[in-house]
Amino acid sequence: MSAKKDYAIKVSHVTKKFKIYYDKANTLKERLVFWKSKNKNEERTVLEDINLEIKKGETVALIGTNGSGKSTLLKLMTKIIYPTKGRITTVGKLTSLLELGAGFHDDFTGRENIYFNASIFGLTKSEIDAKVDDIIAFSELEEFIDNPVRTYSSGMYMRLAFSVAINVNAEILLIDEILAVGDQHFQDKCFKKLEELKNSDKTIVIVSHSLDSIRKLCNRAIWIKDGHVKMDGEASSVIDKYLEECK
Amino acid sequence: MQLVKNLYNYRELLKSNVKKEIRGKYKGSFLGVLWSFVNPLLQVAVYAIVFPYIMRVQTDNYLIYLIIGIIPWTFFTTVINQGMITVRMNAGIIKKVYFPREILPISVALSGLINFLISCIIIVLFCLFGGVGITWHIIFLPLIALLQFILTLGIVFALSAINIYIKDTEYLVTFLINMLFYATPILYEASLFPEKIRFILYLNPMTQVIDAYRNIFLYHQMPDLMGIVYLVLIAVILFFLGLLIFRKLEKGFAEEV
Repeated sequence: MSAKKDYAIKVSHVTKKFKIYYDKANTLKERLVFWKSKNKNEERTVLEDINLEIKKGETVALIGTNGSGKSTLLKLMTKIIYPTKGRITTVGKLTSLLELGAGFHDDFTGRENIYFNASIFGLTKSEIDAKVDDIIAFSELEEFIDNPVRTYSSGMYMRLAFSVAINVNAEILLIDEILAVGDQHFQDKCFKKLEELKNSDKTIVIVSHSLDSIRKLCNRAIWIKDGHVKMDGEASSVIDKYLEECK
Repeated sequence: MQLVKNLYNYRELLKSNVKKEIRGKYKGSFLGVLWSFVNPLLQVAVYAIVFPYIMRVQTDNYLIYLIIGIIPWTFFTTVINQGMITVRMNAGIIKKVYFPREILPISVALSGLINFLISCIIIVLFCLFGGVGITWHIIFLPLIALLQFILTLGIVFALSAINIYIKDTEYLVTFLINMLFYATPILYEASLFPEKIRFILYLNPMTQVIDAYRNIFLYHQMPDLMGIVYLVLIAVILFFLGLLIFRKLEKGFAEEV
């Protein structure tokens, strides 16, 4: 606790292995009968010995092909899953947008869901009270906000979810592949909001395949390939290298 | 202490989760939340008919005796049954958002506690109109309810986590609870057993709990001191043991559910 921490996320020597079960023993009988033939499952190493330090205020993109482990890395950062080896430290309040609308209840109204969703992110009632109007205004769903969300179109659903997540005022924002929210107008708005957050002291980590947006938004990109950091540096140059190899 | 801090930070989530537990269970039914009070009463009605008339049980104030047994027992089993599956039921959010996972079993136990405290009104009404009356001894109610809460929460911590890895837990526990029902003096009196083996009955913490409730509501006396000490001990041990198991297993929740 002595030196002032200038990083927001620190990943040191992180290895993540998943067990691949061919036939998962979930019941007591199966566990007892098959307890010796444990070698039935194999382990797949998704990330191996990753070392990263993301500084406060940085906007970082994680890029790579499908299955390269970038989403896993993001999940590790949110503490939804835990590393097999190594450790991850984060400093500050953290919000993740892995899947929009996680924890929404279809029968509840938009407004109730704002409260419910924001409380999952760790906000108190008075904090949400203060923000609820901003959230509704940002989502542009004023006329539908008191309808149950099951009546929403998928675009409206996404807009509401994104508005909650982006307005909870976290110091670290982790985003997985959701820059394409809603129509062009709303996408532009989200992009602008992200730029605004970027220019404040927020730390943002984005996993995305829309390289053009990343190039505009991020100042650093980390290319992950087969569970290793292949390249780490200034966004444009990393993306250029990545595109070269993809050809 | 991390637990207390987490709960404080996420108090809004805890609150809305408790509300959801209380309202959600009987959602869509005509009587709604009322079912959580009608259910134990109906159960009492069955036993009150079966035991005195068919089995010829002769306990004074048997109806009130039964109610004071059944209502705390319902608190115990509802929390265990719902708590056991709570992690699995919430697989959707567990996989997608981080929040202190302990909130899930705690909300179930809290909603059970709230339900129970409201149900105590039924006990009081029966005592008042059943000719037993109420004395100052009921000031011990919060203490006993709290002990029962901690005890049950500890069990639920352990079971909800284990149930993710071994699905049989659910079925096994349902059976065990059923057995425990008859190993607790709910329908009968402990004095039915010869003195020599009666202590076995009292090893069961639920016997101590229900005994204490009966003392304060029905017999108008202080809860048995040794019983309370034993209960505190068991409750604290089970709570920390359960929490330890939960902590140990929660890291795998998102991958296993």
